[in-house]
Amino acid sequence: MRLTRTKQVVCSLLLVTSLLAGCGKESAAPAPASGTPGTEAKASGGEFIFGLASEPTVLDPGVEPSAAGYRVFRQIFDSLVVETADHSFKPWLATSWEISPDAKQFTFHLRKDVKFHDGTPFNAEAVKFNFDRIVDPKTKSRFAVSLIGPYDSSEVIDEYTIRVNFKQPHAPFMEALSQAFLGMASPTAVKKFGDKFGQNPVGTGPFVFEKWIQKSEIALNKNPDYNWAPETAGHTGAAYLDKLIYRIIPEDSTRVGSVQSGQIAAAETIPPQNIVAFKNDSNIQMLEAQSPGSPYTLMLNTTKQPWDDVKVRTAVMLAIDMDTIVKTLYMGTYQRAWGPLTPSTAGYDPKVENSWKPDTAKANQLLDEAGWTERDANGTRMKNGQPLVMNYLIGTPNREKRHDIGTMMQQQLKQIGISVKIDLQATNAVVSAIMNGQYDMTGTSLVQGDPDVLRSIYHSINTPTPQKFAFNLGHLENQEIDQLLMDGLKSTDLKVRSDIYAKVQEYLIENALTLPTYVFPYTVAAQKEFTGIQFDSRAYPLFYDVAKTQ
Amino acid sequence: MIGFLVRRILAAIPVLFGVATLVFFILRLLPGDPIALMLAGAPADEETMNNLRQQFGLDQPLIMQYFTFLGHIATGNFGQSFVRSEPVMGMIGEQFVSTLMLTLASTLIAVVLGAVLGVISAIHRNGWADFVIRIISLLGISMPTFWSGILLILIFSVHLNWFPATGSGGFSRLVLPACALGLVGAGFIVRMVRNSMLEVINEQFIMTLRSKGLSERIVMYQHALRNALIPAVTMVGVQIGELLAGAVIIETVFARQGLGRLIVDAIMNKDFPTVEGAVLFTAIVYVVVNILVDVSYSVIDPRVRTSN
Repeated sequence: MRLTRTKQVVCSLLLVTSLLAGCGKESAAPAPASGTPGTEAKASGGEFIFGLASEPTVLDPGVEPSAAGYRVFRQIFDSLVVETADHSFKPWLATSWEISPDAKQFTFHLRKDVKFHDGTPFNAEAVKFNFDRIVDPKTKSRFAVSLIGPYDSSEVIDEYTIRVNFKQPHAPFMEALSQAFLGMASPTAVKKFGDKFGQNPVGTGPFVFEKWIQKSEIALNKNPDYNWAPETAGHTGAAYLDKLIYRIIPEDSTRVGSVQSGQIAAAETIPPQNIVAFKNDSNIQMLEAQSPGSPYTLMLNTTKQPWDDVKVRTAVMLAIDMDTIVKTLYMGTYQRAWGPLTPSTAGYDPKVENSWKPDTAKANQLLDEAGWTERDANGTRMKNGQPLVMNYLIGTPNREKRHDIGTMMQQQLKQIGISVKIDLQATNAVVSAIMNGQYDMTGTSLVQGDPDVLRSIYHSINTPTPQKFAFNLGHLENQEIDQLLMDGLKSTDLKVRSDIYAKVQEYLIENALTLPTYVFPYTVAAQKEFTGIQFDSRAYPLFYDVAKTQ
Repeated sequence: MIGFLVRRILAAIPVLFGVATLVFFILRLLPGDPIALMLAGAPADEETMNNLRQQFGLDQPLIMQYFTFLGHIATGNFGQSFVRSEPVMGMIGEQFVSTLMLTLASTLIAVVLGAVLGVISAIHRNGWADFVIRIISLLGISMPTFWSGILLILIFSVHLNWFPATGSGGFSRLVLPACALGLVGAGFIVRMVRNSMLEVINEQFIMTLRSKGLSERIVMYQHALRNALIPAVTMVGVQIGELLAGAVIIETVFARQGLGRLIVDAIMNKDFPTVEGAVLFTAIVYVVVNILVDVSYSVIDPRVRTSN
């Protein structure tokens, strides 16, 4: 304690000295135009080190699918539009746009003052180049190609007007367009670097790529010419920071310790026990943003008996006390999920909240009705000599305590005579098991701001097969749901779409086709001296407004 | 000596061929589709996946893939990484420097600490110094490196703020990870040196040296230690291999660059060319270190030289 105090005194002395020295130097410069005494002044300049939990594979938004990549290249690449908290869209690199009523043609009018970091002018040709490149098989796009969906072509109307044509209605395009995965890359740099563009990214964003030391850090510098921030940003002009460094620190305790000791400015993905501690730490601020899309959702494989029976599925749902599971495992730091979409997703249906509650008696009754009336020596229910066993497929490492969800579920389902076997596999093996349908229950979560995420998880075209890795993990084949999910693509009116998606959400819960668990909060612990860490609509961090308070 | 070296290098070729073949087939026999993993959890349709398969040559029959691979490595080309579209050789080069520094630093700590403590322990056999050193060596051997690594970070980085917890490059970032790894090696070497010192001390030439009136220090450090070092050197050869492997964990805990992390990440992503290249490279390092250890015997012990 005494040591800390001594250190504080030394630090304050150093700070005062450096401030005095700074004042001396700056006295020759003209006085700033604004800034009243007593308000917190923002320091321009300085370095910000951010602890990343995992390393991106490439920094090419058209290729890379990972969240880790997004957290870095969002600062390098700008999008045509930006999504606001109320799910409307505002100008960014596009100043205005028109959408055809059938949601197949999108016309954008572009800013005329934008330049890529390498000096290449940004215009309609550049936009066309970007979209054509994503669908080119040689690009080997892993995710952007899915976002752009039924893309047909781009037409350059004039230097600053572009029309994007789709083969089928594609209402989610606006949301997709606001994601950094469809961010604008410099055509000159793409041609120059070819396959190596992912190690030499060039965009129009507030930060310019400097270097990437593999497995160690990625360094970005301020783009001094930046003057096209969207209105959702906290200021205009160049970023406050001179340098933004991402240090890759996979080990949780090291990442947390590095923020605690002040060696880095901030770190992401803080484990629940540390969130609780950091909230009581006077030097640290805890920031959280809820991920939109699908929460971590468990699904029963409906092609396997007895999970094809709605009574058995409902019994499972009623026997699980999700409140207790989420409160126990995440110590009150995660919110429980109620439906197949998280609350921050466009088209979220609040009616799912409190629509299902634990009811062991009802669960037992349903299993009796379904014919699972006999019991074996361990109390597991049986039917025709077969025990009622549920195999829960889950990958390592124990991401967000998903193994422990299995353990708690095991105890709770034992109460109604269902025996849960936790099938722990390496990630590679989980992918295989999913493609081959070898599980009774497994789960996934997907980050996406548009309710079309439901199509990825519940449409029959997305059923995994031995040739295809997709996320209809319940193997749901329901024509009515398929139709609703396709109807949702046809209108760009959020009200109309919300009504369609509400039907889907309610149907999935009523028929126990989805078992939502928790909403993942993206967490950042940062030194209190820094302000302005923002999150975009997909809960990814933005560092454009970050400044050190003086 | 040159004949010996040539024989050893020729003998290494079938070893490396075996390693290459094994790693090629093990990777492909393990469950999991590299294309599915490449998507990192993002949904994709069949067309996208088939296109990726074709682009990476994974639609070819296995035997064709194998011959292409052999053709590549025979010409010293480890291929291109699936996930980074970069030559694997360059990626290995970038990571290896850091692993090499860590291995050398921790070997140095292990050898110096191990030899000094081992000798002290043998001289003061069954005394309190021997007792304390044996406990330290036991702790060094039995503490898992991820645990001692985190402990070192907590004490010397978070609380005392003497050394940075993360990153690679520079002396200050090397100290803690090298200590965490070196302590394990030191634990083994202490026991090795202590035992062989005890054997040597009881030999007749030591008595002769003492009766010549040489000081105890010269007897111990110039004559006894030199004889006791031979088994310890063998140990160092084995240890360097162990250190290369153990570095994986330490590199992760301290967020350092390194070959270990390159391999682990590549295995997780099923990035076949990177795993194949990095494993083969590690095998080459093993072979070279072992040849060097054999050569070093003759330097330490003149009797080996004359018998050759």
